[in-house]
Amino acid sequence: MNPFVEECRREWKRLGVPDPVANEMAADLEVDLAEAEADGSSAEEVLGTAAFDAPSFAAAWAAERGVVPRATETVRTRRRVPRAEVAIAGFALVAIIGALLLLTAQASSQTRVALPAPIHVWKPVPMPVPVGARGLVSSSSDLGARIAGAVLLIVGLVGTVLATVFAVLDRPWRRPAAAG
Amino acid sequence: MAIGEGRRTQLLRGALDLCLLAVMEEGPAYGYEMTKRLRARGLSTVGEGSIYPLLGRLEREGLVETYRAASNGGPPRKYYRPSAEGRRALAAGVAEWRAARDALDAVLGPVEAEVAA
Repeated sequence: MNPFVEECRREWKRLGVPDPVANEMAADLEVDLAEAEADGSSAEEVLGTAAFDAPSFAAAWAAERGVVPRATETVRTRRRVPRAEVAIAGFALVAIIGALLLLTAQASSQTRVALPAPIHVWKPVPMPVPVGARGLVSSSSDLGARIAGAVLLIVGLVGTVLATVFAVLDRPWRRPAAAG
Repeated sequence: MAIGEGRRTQLLRGALDLCLLAVMEEGPAYGYEMTKRLRARGLSTVGEGSIYPLLGRLEREGLVETYRAASNGGPPRKYYRPSAEGRRALAAGVAEWRAARDALDAVLGPVEAEVAA
């Protein structure tokens, strides 16, 4: 058997092309190549650039005949997009949870700061700290936490929107590949 | 690949299905026979890829009918001929091709260019 045809056969077997179809394609190709050779033509003159890549040629032919699913590209696209959606959604969820934790902690610490500190907490009271100064230190760290929480919340919400948009855009890609 | 060859390949690739339908409209043909008919008109498929996947698509789309018959006492070959739908597709495709060619000619025709030898 022609080595090119043999290589095609291996690819068809690997792709799961039904034997009768593979036999038919192999037989047609074999006699065509034999006739071309008898005419003094090279395989390249019959097959074009495909003569240098039997597996791709075999896969393309089988796909065009509709005997194997149409291309790995579609499968890859289908797999990649949900992964991206899940990753973005997961990231958004973590960001929102982080934001909520930060904002909740900040709110409760703000409540604590607002209460007058009991005297025994400061014992042995090494140095009196002016109330205004304590309030300033406390406000500055609260502000940082609030900003971080807000940023995380925004990131989380943007992530949620993106994941939703991708999910909506993904729908047409999941349709079966068009013929041809 | 040179730019000119690339353009030629793109142009022919877009019309190769019509060319196949046209050569089999002259008379049923098997794969290699179509290659020979195309070559006889100066259309080599070397750069354009193989006709076999294209024949597979035409068959799947119902644009061609096939049958097996011996060729000159040789092994049985798969012959292709346009189906009724294939003939309609050929007529529509040729009309599209001519319209596109005329439009391109209108733009490119007046250009005076000399191809360097």
